[in-house]
Amino acid sequence: MNEMYLGQFAFAFYTLIVLAGGGLAVSAASLVRAMLGLVVALFGVAGLYLLLLADFVALMQILIYVGAVTVLIFFAIMLTRAAADGGEAEGPGAGGILRAIPAFLVPAGILVPLLAVYGATGFPTPKNVSPAQLGAGLLGPYTLAFELISVVLLAAMAGAVILAFEKREPR
Amino acid sequence: MNNPLVLYQVVAVMLLCLGLYALVARRTLIGMLIGVELMLNGAGLSIVAAAQLTPMDAVLGQLGALLVMGLAAAEATLVLAIVLVVNKRFGDAAADGPSELKG
Repeated sequence: MNEMYLGQFAFAFYTLIVLAGGGLAVSAASLVRAMLGLVVALFGVAGLYLLLLADFVALMQILIYVGAVTVLIFFAIMLTRAAADGGEAEGPGAGGILRAIPAFLVPAGILVPLLAVYGATGFPTPKNVSPAQLGAGLLGPYTLAFELISVVLLAAMAGAVILAFEKREPR
Repeated sequence: MNNPLVLYQVVAVMLLCLGLYALVARRTLIGMLIGVELMLNGAGLSIVAAAQLTPMDAVLGQLGALLVMGLAAAEATLVLAIVLVVNKRFGDAAADGPSELKG
């Protein structure tokens, strides 16, 4: 029973981290501070994955999101000089907030009551899956998805190189 | 509300709503990208929670979350290139610059 309370406490703690980081990522005027908020929220989600006994996914969350995607966005911020004098400095404005509030209230108003009324009942404790089983799944029944995601990554990177390539033809 | 699956799904919906807010309220393309990353995280959390706490195949759920991460990485790469092109063409990365041709 004691571990049950510990689990609830950890869930509340990680949820608090996710919400605080997400709020900072959404509301900060400086894009660098928004990125720091995003990093905090990503770490909170990794903690929730750990609570769900998905430790491999939590590791990949930190490796891919916190390690790679965040650095990519930091590169974008640096290359566009958006930190100090960018368009975010003056905030969203009244019109932006007026448009944004229904944009998130409508899905929340539909999804949360549906969850509260028709939410599926789950097990109180999550299942444990070893990384070996995940690897067997990737090489067994889900090979096509594995190959497809690599093709998508290759296409995205080739497209990014072509888009950002500076033409040097003299005209 | 003593159902852990519903609690995880509510956290995922909160991430979705924060991402939608950022997507609409932000002025620059990078701020909108941050909102999209929040939404994708909510999707991954929802998938893993549903797979781990129900009789569904847990391997499928965790691999689905990993595929969402891969798609997010690909999408961030493309958005970085598009931001660079927009920045080169319009001088800054504001989202209302590229809409100047809409008439």
